[in-house]
Amino acid sequence: MTGNGSTRREMHLGLMFWATGTHAAGWRYPGSRADGAYDIGFIQDVTRLVERAKFDFLFLGDRLVTDPALAKTNPAQMSRLEPFTAGAAIAAATSKIGIVVTANPTYYDPYNLARLLASLDHLSRGRASWNLVTGADALAAANFSRAEHWDTEKRYDWADEFVDVVRALWDSWEDGALIRDRRRGLFVDEARIHPVNHHGRYFDVTGPLNVARPPQGQVVLLHAGTSDRSRELGAREADVIFAGSHEITSGREYYADIKQRAAAYGRSADDIQILPGLSVIVAETTREAVAIRDRLDSLLPEVERKPDVRAGALGQATRRRDEWGITGNPVEVADYMQEWFETGAADGFNIFPPFVPGAVEAVTELVVPELQRRGLYRREYSGGTFRDHLGLARPRNRFESAATGSQAAPSRLAPAAAANS
Amino acid sequence: MDADRSLHLGYMYWANGTHPAGWRYPGATGDRAFDPDYIAGIARAVEDASFDFFFLGDRLATGPEYQFTNTSVLARPEPFTIAGYLATRTSRIGLVVTANTTYSEPFNIARLTASLDHITAGRASWNVVTGADPRAAANYSRPEHGDADARYDRADEFVSLVRHLWDTWEDGAFVRNKETGEFVDGGKIHALNHVGASFQVRGPLNLSRPPQGHPVVVHAGTSERSRALAAREADVVFGAAASVPDGVAYAADLRARAAAVGRDPARLLVLPGLTPLVGGTPDEARAIYDQLNELIVLDEDIRFGGAGPDGWPTAEPPVRREDQGPGRRNLGALSQRLGLDVTAAALSGVVSDAVVQAASPSGQQLIRTAARRTGRVPAQNLTWRDVMYAHVWGGHVVVGGPAEVADYMERWLRAGACDGFIIQSAFLVGQLEQFIALVVPELRSRGLFRSEYAGRTLRDHLGLPRPPSTLTAGQHAGAVHPAGATA
Repeated sequence: MTGNGSTRREMHLGLMFWATGTHAAGWRYPGSRADGAYDIGFIQDVTRLVERAKFDFLFLGDRLVTDPALAKTNPAQMSRLEPFTAGAAIAAATSKIGIVVTANPTYYDPYNLARLLASLDHLSRGRASWNLVTGADALAAANFSRAEHWDTEKRYDWADEFVDVVRALWDSWEDGALIRDRRRGLFVDEARIHPVNHHGRYFDVTGPLNVARPPQGQVVLLHAGTSDRSRELGAREADVIFAGSHEITSGREYYADIKQRAAAYGRSADDIQILPGLSVIVAETTREAVAIRDRLDSLLPEVERKPDVRAGALGQATRRRDEWGITGNPVEVADYMQEWFETGAADGFNIFPPFVPGAVEAVTELVVPELQRRGLYRREYSGGTFRDHLGLARPRNRFESAATGSQAAPSRLAPAAAANS
Repeated sequence: MDADRSLHLGYMYWANGTHPAGWRYPGATGDRAFDPDYIAGIARAVEDASFDFFFLGDRLATGPEYQFTNTSVLARPEPFTIAGYLATRTSRIGLVVTANTTYSEPFNIARLTASLDHITAGRASWNVVTGADPRAAANYSRPEHGDADARYDRADEFVSLVRHLWDTWEDGAFVRNKETGEFVDGGKIHALNHVGASFQVRGPLNLSRPPQGHPVVVHAGTSERSRALAAREADVVFGAAASVPDGVAYAADLRARAAAVGRDPARLLVLPGLTPLVGGTPDEARAIYDQLNELIVLDEDIRFGGAGPDGWPTAEPPVRREDQGPGRRNLGALSQRLGLDVTAAALSGVVSDAVVQAASPSGQQLIRTAARRTGRVPAQNLTWRDVMYAHVWGGHVVVGGPAEVADYMERWLRAGACDGFIIQSAFLVGQLEQFIALVVPELRSRGLFRSEYAGRTLRDHLGLPRPPSTLTAGQHAGAVHPAGATA
């Protein structure tokens, strides 16, 4: 797993990209970008910044509703670029980093989403990933001509079948189906292109997809959630679980639970990486880091301030760990991450930068080298695809492994001559 | 250059060209449809030639027959992701993305198109289609594709709804004042509360208004419903006419319809598709044309194995079954097209004058097309093979050297049959290079095409103004979003 000849386990790191930062007042912090959400050049710059730090992925979140009231609590989620178009533009400006795109099956057709994801995987040469969310926001229904918001059970019933269909569609073209035999005039080997003929409770999809098999075979799948249904979906289907635990005891419980559920589906512990979200404010010294945190909190709208901030508890000079994240010097932050990593609470982290790009730069300049020095994080990418970064093999195609085997299946067409003449 | 008398040129990207055997031509590309560097290379070549836009088509189903008719549509990347990718690999050219209203949601399409317009800084365009391939229904859990009226009813409401969603954020809704902490002006963000026959959408969109206000809307079609939609909504019409009289009639009809719904007819641009088969001289072009056609796989060349009802192969041993072939690439199909039985003819036989006179009007037109493309004439040297190839490779093709191709384009423009063309290549990259190297300079020397971009956005290239918002404070039908009212 490392480039140093060691087999030591290494962390996986992602960056949660919220253009104005994950802190509600991040956009007001001096030097941060308030208008980066629509500047693709800026988004590409931030991605390249974490790509230079060998991050596994950039994470593009999504929601299907907005509300101007979010300006006070979460301006980054109030409006933003649609993730597939942004993800493709990021693919054009990067070469190694994984690109995680959030998409909600509740409001998509599997054929559309299978195409978008497979295409992004081709255009990024194997770096695409789907963060599957089912949409807890009831208001989304009103943007999609739905009379009501489905409950969790229905959303997960739908999502479970949806994933099955998408995965089958990704396999509908075998590797090597595009033979492009100029001499015989055969462009494809039709025996290696398979209808999926899915007929289920919610979906009837004949297929095949009209996109060749993705470079990764199956695009990397992310999922997050704490409900029983979400844990089951994640344990069965996800390659990465984006966890929400804020303290280590519940983090360990969640971690053990997911790995146990995955084992019940015949998956190994290494098949599924659990990455809690972690807000990080880091500076050379604890005092500086805490000052940044206090400055940020002081910029919050009055109603959003924590009691200690309103009381003016600024300048407190100790490392701070709270529900919100970790604030400290590089050693303190790395210690914190290492403890989670080595005591069964995390396989890495999805880093939340409170403001952008300053807080991202600080993590790449201060925390990543500290983790690398400890042998906990890669110094170079070992492969070119997101699956490579995660140490996941390219999966076998379900149709190829069928009893007949692709080689044995007869081709329907066989031109008699090189060209009619 | 007179802007009113010059051409707008789009380029329709087909990874393997429009000719069914283009991918087999010596030196042609046939294996790079999924290579982003290849796609970007084509787009940049077209941008370097200052084309108005790069056009990405789409379909929502595939089938085995495409292997002999159009390999480019068998499998290809989806257009929004290609365009998002190209946004970064290009800087000036417009990017047209095809998206189907029958099998998508307005909120999703409004976001995708608006987002693309932001990423491209105002170069995005949406080609509205309702579905050319009825097999799509079986990929989208639908019992049926729906007839044209049902699809256009939905499309009409869909397009209008998307336009309103683009407008839900007024220009200037973002304040982003770091001092005061005011991030947006909630009074400039509007709900839509649309309730229609096909859609109920509350809004607002979760995206700032597109840089172009409204991304450019493209539509194609000749049916009554499609003309009506184009006249009402389209900025650019992708025309299908293949003769000057047809082109004139089509353009005049659309402009009259646009005027009837209160639009300025000059702001509806009619751009027919055109595949120029270009050589350094007319003879060179015809030699390429003949060589390409010899690579077409006709039905007689195919041994057919068994196929299931969906057209995909079964495990039966290969036997010839003509009824399951592409079906129109043989003398039987040609006979139907001509309105007379030529099944006994030899492909190498010369077409006689008597046969030309006996053919139906559309058959006579096909024979004229074959003669025009090849430079050969009936009763002398025009063969049935030539007619067969014109039948198999239909569409709007002009074969010639740079002067002939430019003459042809100029004639259409002067006659009022078009405002320009959507250029396609028989195969890549040779035919695109030839068009850019030979025809584009000829058009420029005649003052018919720009030498460089004058503006930044696709609307700039097309000479279209940025539209005002349909939803400004106090004017929109829907109530202000409850939260917005207090923000």
